[in-house]
Amino acid sequence: MNLDLEYLERLTLRVRRGMGDRPGDRRFPGRPEPAGIELEAYAAYVPGDDLRHLDWNAVGRLDALLVRRFTAERELVVHLLVDASASMAVPARDGKLPLARELALALAYVALGANDAVRIAVLPGDGATRVSPLLRQRGSLARAAALLAAVVPGGRLGLGAALETYVREHPRPGLAIVVSDLMMEPAEVERGVLALRARRYEVLLLHVIGAGELDPGREFTRGVLTDVETGATHPIVLTPAARTRYRELVAEHLGALAALAERTRAVYARLATDASVREFLSVELPRLGVLGRR
Amino acid sequence: MTPGLANPAGALALGAVGVLVVLHLYGRRRRTVPVGTLFLWQRVPAEPLDRRRFRPDLLFVLQLGLLLALIAGFVRPYLEAATPAAERVRLLVVLDVSASMQAREEGGTRFELARRRARALVAQLLTGDEVMLVTAAERAHVLLAWTADHARAQDRLEALEPLDTPTDLAAALELALGERRARPETQVAVLTDLPPEASGVAHEELAYVDWVQIGRSDDNVAITGLSVEAPPFHPAGDATATVLVRNYAHVERRVVLEARVGTETWARRELVLAPRGAEPVLLTDPPADGELTVTLAVDDALAVDNRALAELPASRPLDLLVVSASRELGAAVGKLGASVAASRVRTVRPERLAEAEPARAVIYDRVVPPGPPRAEPALYLEPPAGNPVCPGLRPVDDAAVIDWDVDHPAVAGLDGLEALTLEHAVQLVTPSWGSAVVLGATARGAFPLLVAGERDGRRLACLGADLAGPLVSSDDVPFLVLLLSTLRWLEEPPGGAALLVETGVPALAGSGVAEFHGPGLQVAGDPPVLLAERTGLYRVGGRVVLANLFDDRESDIGRSGGGEWPATARPAAASAAGTARRELGWWLYLAAAALLALEWSAWQARRPRRVA
Repeated sequence: MNLDLEYLERLTLRVRRGMGDRPGDRRFPGRPEPAGIELEAYAAYVPGDDLRHLDWNAVGRLDALLVRRFTAERELVVHLLVDASASMAVPARDGKLPLARELALALAYVALGANDAVRIAVLPGDGATRVSPLLRQRGSLARAAALLAAVVPGGRLGLGAALETYVREHPRPGLAIVVSDLMMEPAEVERGVLALRARRYEVLLLHVIGAGELDPGREFTRGVLTDVETGATHPIVLTPAARTRYRELVAEHLGALAALAERTRAVYARLATDASVREFLSVELPRLGVLGRR
Repeated sequence: MTPGLANPAGALALGAVGVLVVLHLYGRRRRTVPVGTLFLWQRVPAEPLDRRRFRPDLLFVLQLGLLLALIAGFVRPYLEAATPAAERVRLLVVLDVSASMQAREEGGTRFELARRRARALVAQLLTGDEVMLVTAAERAHVLLAWTADHARAQDRLEALEPLDTPTDLAAALELALGERRARPETQVAVLTDLPPEASGVAHEELAYVDWVQIGRSDDNVAITGLSVEAPPFHPAGDATATVLVRNYAHVERRVVLEARVGTETWARRELVLAPRGAEPVLLTDPPADGELTVTLAVDDALAVDNRALAELPASRPLDLLVVSASRELGAAVGKLGASVAASRVRTVRPERLAEAEPARAVIYDRVVPPGPPRAEPALYLEPPAGNPVCPGLRPVDDAAVIDWDVDHPAVAGLDGLEALTLEHAVQLVTPSWGSAVVLGATARGAFPLLVAGERDGRRLACLGADLAGPLVSSDDVPFLVLLLSTLRWLEEPPGGAALLVETGVPALAGSGVAEFHGPGLQVAGDPPVLLAERTGLYRVGGRVVLANLFDDRESDIGRSGGGEWPATARPAAASAAGTARRELGWWLYLAAAALLALEWSAWQARRPRRVA
C-alpha cells in the first residue's frame, strides 16, 4: 500500500462537531469556555469564575461583573471504522478491502497531520472488533498500517449492532468515519448512524462499492449467486431485462443511503473500486466539505 | 455452371464446429458466483439454469458463421463453366537452360530474359488454359506436365536455374512437336539463344513453333581444353599441362591465366588474344601434385567457361614382383625397372611365390598359381590354357592390334598401339570380371588381347602375349608402353585417379562409385554412369570427379540476327470443349473477415463498461 504523502500533506479534515475532552488544536466555536486564547463571548460572573478573566473595563463602564469566555480548543478524535466482513472480499477482482485500507490509512495520515487523535477499529463479520489505541503522532501510522494489513475479511457483519457496541465502548464524541461496502438494508446502516449521532459523533459514511457490483455483467452472465455472508443462493441469468432491473435496484439502494445520510446529518460519499483514491480525497471529499486545504 | 470443391479434404475442419458448441456449452455451465449480498438480487426474478438446453446467442451465431466461412474458404469451392473450345489455349514452353544461357546481356542474363518472357506467356493464360514446361539442355526434361495451375507453373519457372551443359534442342523440340501432333491445338513457344536453323528439326515443323531467340553478345573468352601429361612412374615435377584459351569475341582481348595446384600458385600468364583467336599455354614444373585449377581473370559475358579443373597425379615408383620360371625374363624386367627411378622389381620362381614379400603389383609370366590368389593386383602374361582366371582359347601367330578402348584408364592417353604387331599371341576370352581393352586380330579374326577389370576387390589384367620378344628388341616400344600403362593402372591406389568428365556428357563412373544424386551430378545405373550438369569438383564415394565445360558451341555465344519467328501455321481449334473454373475461396475469406469485425463489435457491446 503506497500512499502519495505529498498531496495528503496539503489536506486537513473539516469538522464542526465531535469535540473531544482533551485540550487540543481544534477550535469549536459556539461553545465558549472560561479559558482559551480567542475571545468568543462574555458571561455574567458567578462565584467560582476565575477573577483573572473579569473584564475590568466593563465593570467600570457598565457596573456589571462580566467575565470573558473563549473559543473551545479541544482535541478531535477520529474513529476510523473499517468493515472487514466477507462481502468486502467480493467481487474478488474489484479489491474492495484493499481500497478501504488505503482510504482509511490516507485519512489517518491527514488526521495525524492536523494533530488529531486517531483510533482505528476493524469491524469483522465474526469475532470481536479489533480496536487500536489512540494514535496521536504520525510515527504511529505504521501501527495503523500493520493493523489494517492484518485484516482478513470474513463472516457476516451487522453494521448497526456493531456501531452501537462500538459507541457504547467509546462514548466520547469524535469524528466517526465508517468505511464499508454498505451492502445491506439501509435500515441497518441507519441504526448504526443514529447510535453514533446520539453520542454527538460527527459521521462520515464512505461507501466503497465494487465495479462488478455496479455492473455485474463484467463478472458473470449466468450462474448461481451465493451470498458469501449467509450462504443463500439465487440462480440468475443476466438477461438484458435482469441487468436493467438490477441497475434500477442498485440506483435505488444508493439513493436510499444518500437519503438516510441527509436525514441523520451524516455525510455520505461513494468510491467505486475502479476510481482513484487520490481523486476521491482531493476532489470528492473537499466538494462535500469533509476535507479542505490547509 | 457446375459447383465443386478443390480441397474436399478440408471439410474435415467441420469438426471445429463441434468444438465451438462444446465451448459454448462449457461457458453456459452451472457456475457458482459469490456475491457480497443477495438482498438486491433477490428482487431480480430468478432464472432456472438448464445446462442441457442449447440456446445460441448472437455471439455464438456470429462465431459459427465466421468458422463456417473459414472452413468453406479452406475447401476451395469453385464454379466451373464450360468454355468454347476456340477460347482455350494449350501452351507448351520450351526453355533453353544450357550453359550459354548464362551469358550476360543488357537487362540480365539470357536465361533471366527468357524466363521473364516465359512467365509473361503463362501470365497471359486464362483460367482453364493449360501449360506445359520443358527445359532443354543436353537432354530434354519435362519440368511441368500439362496443368491448368498457372501459379504452380510460375513457381516452377521462378525456381529454375540454368545448367553448365551443352545444348541439344532437338530432343525437347521433338517432344513438343509430338505433343502438338497429339493435340493440334497446342501452341509451342521456344525460348533460346540459338537460331531456328540450329533447332535440329525439319524446317516445316518449325512452322508451328513461336521461336524467340535471345542474346547477341559475343564477348567471351574461354578455356576450351586442359590436358595433363604425366609419364608413368615419373616424379610429379615431370608433369606438364596444356591449356587452350580461345577468344570468341570479334575484338582483341587481354586476359590473365592463373594455374593453381591445390592452394599453391603454379603459373600466371598474361595473354593477348586476337579476335576469334586461340592460344595454347604449356605449363611445366608443377610445384606439387593434386587438383589443378586454371582460371581466366576476365570480365566477359559468360563466366562458366573461365575455369577448368584437372588432376596432377601423385608419383609412385614401380614396385613389382615378377613370378616367372624364366631367369632371362626376370633379368629383363629388372632392367626395365632400373630405367625408372626409385623402382623395385623382384623376380621369384612360381614354387617360391609364398615366400615373396608383398609388392604393389605382380606379373605372372605364363603361370596361374593354384590356391587362393595373393592380395596384390596382378597382370597375367600369356596365361596357360584352362586356367580359372584368364581363360584363353589357343595360341595364334602374326597378330596385330586393331582397336582399343580409349576410355579405359589402363590405356588412357596411349597412341600408336595400331603399330603393335606380335609374332606369337594367345587368343583370350573376355572373362566375366572384366572387359576387352585391346583387341588383336589375325587373318582368322579378332580376339581380346588385353582384358582388364576387378575381381574380388582387386584389379586384374590378362595380356595374351609374353615379354620375351619385346624386352630384347628395341622395336617393341609400343608394347612396353602398353605394359607400363597397364601396370600403372594396376598400381593405382584405391579410389584411383580423379575422374575427368565434361558436363552433359555421360561417362562410366567405374568401380567404387555408388549411386549418387546431388546438385549438379548424378550417378546411376549398372555399371554406374555419371552425368555432370554443373562444372566443379565432386566427391562421390571416395572418388574425385572433375567436371568441366569444354564445348565450343556453348562458349561461342555470339549471335547474329536474333529476334522472333512467330509460328506461321496456327494451331487447330480444340477438339473438345473445356471448362473455366472460378474459385470462390477468397470471397469466403472476405466474408469471414467481415464476420470477425461483426463478432468483435458484438463482443465489445457485451463487454462490461464502467458505470458512473
